[in-house]
Amino acid sequence: MLSSVFLKGLRDRRVSLAWWAVGLLLFILMQIAFYPSMKDNKSIQEYMESAPDALVAFTGTTDISSPVGYLNSQFYFLMFPILLTILAISIGSDALAGEEGRGTLDLLLSAPLTRGRLLLEKYATLAAAVALEALVIYAVTALSALAVGMDLDFLKLAEATFSLLLLALAFGALALLLGAATGSRGLAVGITAALGLGAYVLNSLALVVEGLKPWRRLSPVYYYGGNDPLANGLKGSHVLVLLALTAVFLGGSLALFRRRDLSA
Amino acid sequence: MSSAVIVTEGLTKYYGKSRGVVDLDIEVREGEVFGFLGPNGAGKTTTIRLLLDLIRPTRGRAYLFGLDSRRDSLQVRRRCGHLPGELALYEKMSGADLLRFFANLRGGVSWSYVEELAERLDGELSAPIRSISRGNKQKIGLIQALMHQPELLILDEPTAGLDPLVQQEFYRIIASCRAEGRTVFVSSHNLPEVERLCDRVGIICEGRLVDLVEVASLKKRALRRLEVHFASPPPPDALRGVPGVVDLHADEVVVHCTVRGSMDLLIKALARFEVVNIVSHEPSLEEVFLRYYERGGSDAE
Repeated sequence: MLSSVFLKGLRDRRVSLAWWAVGLLLFILMQIAFYPSMKDNKSIQEYMESAPDALVAFTGTTDISSPVGYLNSQFYFLMFPILLTILAISIGSDALAGEEGRGTLDLLLSAPLTRGRLLLEKYATLAAAVALEALVIYAVTALSALAVGMDLDFLKLAEATFSLLLLALAFGALALLLGAATGSRGLAVGITAALGLGAYVLNSLALVVEGLKPWRRLSPVYYYGGNDPLANGLKGSHVLVLLALTAVFLGGSLALFRRRDLSA
Repeated sequence: MSSAVIVTEGLTKYYGKSRGVVDLDIEVREGEVFGFLGPNGAGKTTTIRLLLDLIRPTRGRAYLFGLDSRRDSLQVRRRCGHLPGELALYEKMSGADLLRFFANLRGGVSWSYVEELAERLDGELSAPIRSISRGNKQKIGLIQALMHQPELLILDEPTAGLDPLVQQEFYRIIASCRAEGRTVFVSSHNLPEVERLCDRVGIICEGRLVDLVEVASLKKRALRRLEVHFASPPPPDALRGVPGVVDLHADEVVVHCTVRGSMDLLIKALARFEVVNIVSHEPSLEEVFLRYYERGGSDAE
């Protein structure tokens, strides 16, 4: 585990990634355990159909008794994207700015390693870590859905989870970019988190506020869930938008990180 | 044989408006131990970070092994060992894990040599780095710089935090590097250390190279502040006129003075009296600079 910056990055995070997996597991099991009672509860369904718009902005749907509706409202509309994005931002902001802030970057870059290579290995660590937690999300959701007898398309579940991963990777790349450009971890976390939150709020409000509808396409979150991948699968153009965002952020980080004076 | 391993040409770095280093022209010859001497904040670390492409010059260039420090940085760093000034290590790792990681990044490191270095420096490799002393961290940094037996060692304040016994062992290691024909560039703010360790010295003050001298000639100019304690008050002109002795003033039985270069004539002059004690102070580097390197400064003050 000490043979490369990539593997060392995973090794450094092994404990925290294990706790993330445990946390996700417990959260998913707890929510899925409520599904059987929710499914047969007519009054909740009736309430949701007449629900205020504000509630829809948090669940993305009024249908919370079907398997897809339930998973969307409990996990895929809000909680999973937020959790996975938080993980990606925390790793991305720390990747270079963390080393620089703690003063270890001088030592690391004394080794024969180009800045570009270092940055890409750091991002690979981020991608692998986030993918690992996405896999946990998929496996635990699929298995617990089976256990409570949900009728679910597991391929679509995989597609929705993959879309989730792409969204988190884009925000992770933005955090990496800001850290690489400024050397300040706090600034990278702050700005990325603010933009991320803005993107979620815009995407959610645009569902219920007529005037915001045209602006929804400005939110990266729209390209994650706008097509409802749990029901409809991935949409190629949306996947491309998320990949392109990541590519732009990564390209920008490379350009800015190569050019900059590192602080001691 | 004496081709240059490091050459800087007008190397200049400004931070915003403040000065880092200005118009630095240095040449470090192959196989020598070159001391880079200056007070804290003079620009030593800035220069080293320019050589390693961690920061970029405002103007001027640096060449290592004839390679451009910026364009060919990867090859340069492959052939260098670097001990950073404000050394920061991965606190959660053990020393052995950290060294293994850097050995893997470099490739071709013999682990038995790492163990030999650890033994010579009495390093602590198994405990998590956060739990070990500053001196032990410095040893890990040193082993990291030395372990791949590089052609060029760039060491920023290498003995900071080392206890005197380990310092001696470090001097021996540097001496053997020199014997093997490696080049060593070592920064320090400690004059005696540089005299002990180096062949040549570049003296940097406020970002400018103020002198480039052989260590032997530095010793000739060395300044020492002395306190001579006499058994009874000496005649007022006891030491007046002794060559190399300046700043004389007497305080009852104690005479304070500053000696430049050899102490021989002073000792001989003192031999006529009963001397109880002689206390010698190395002047701080700042004092040396203020007296001898500022324009207009002279020793006849």
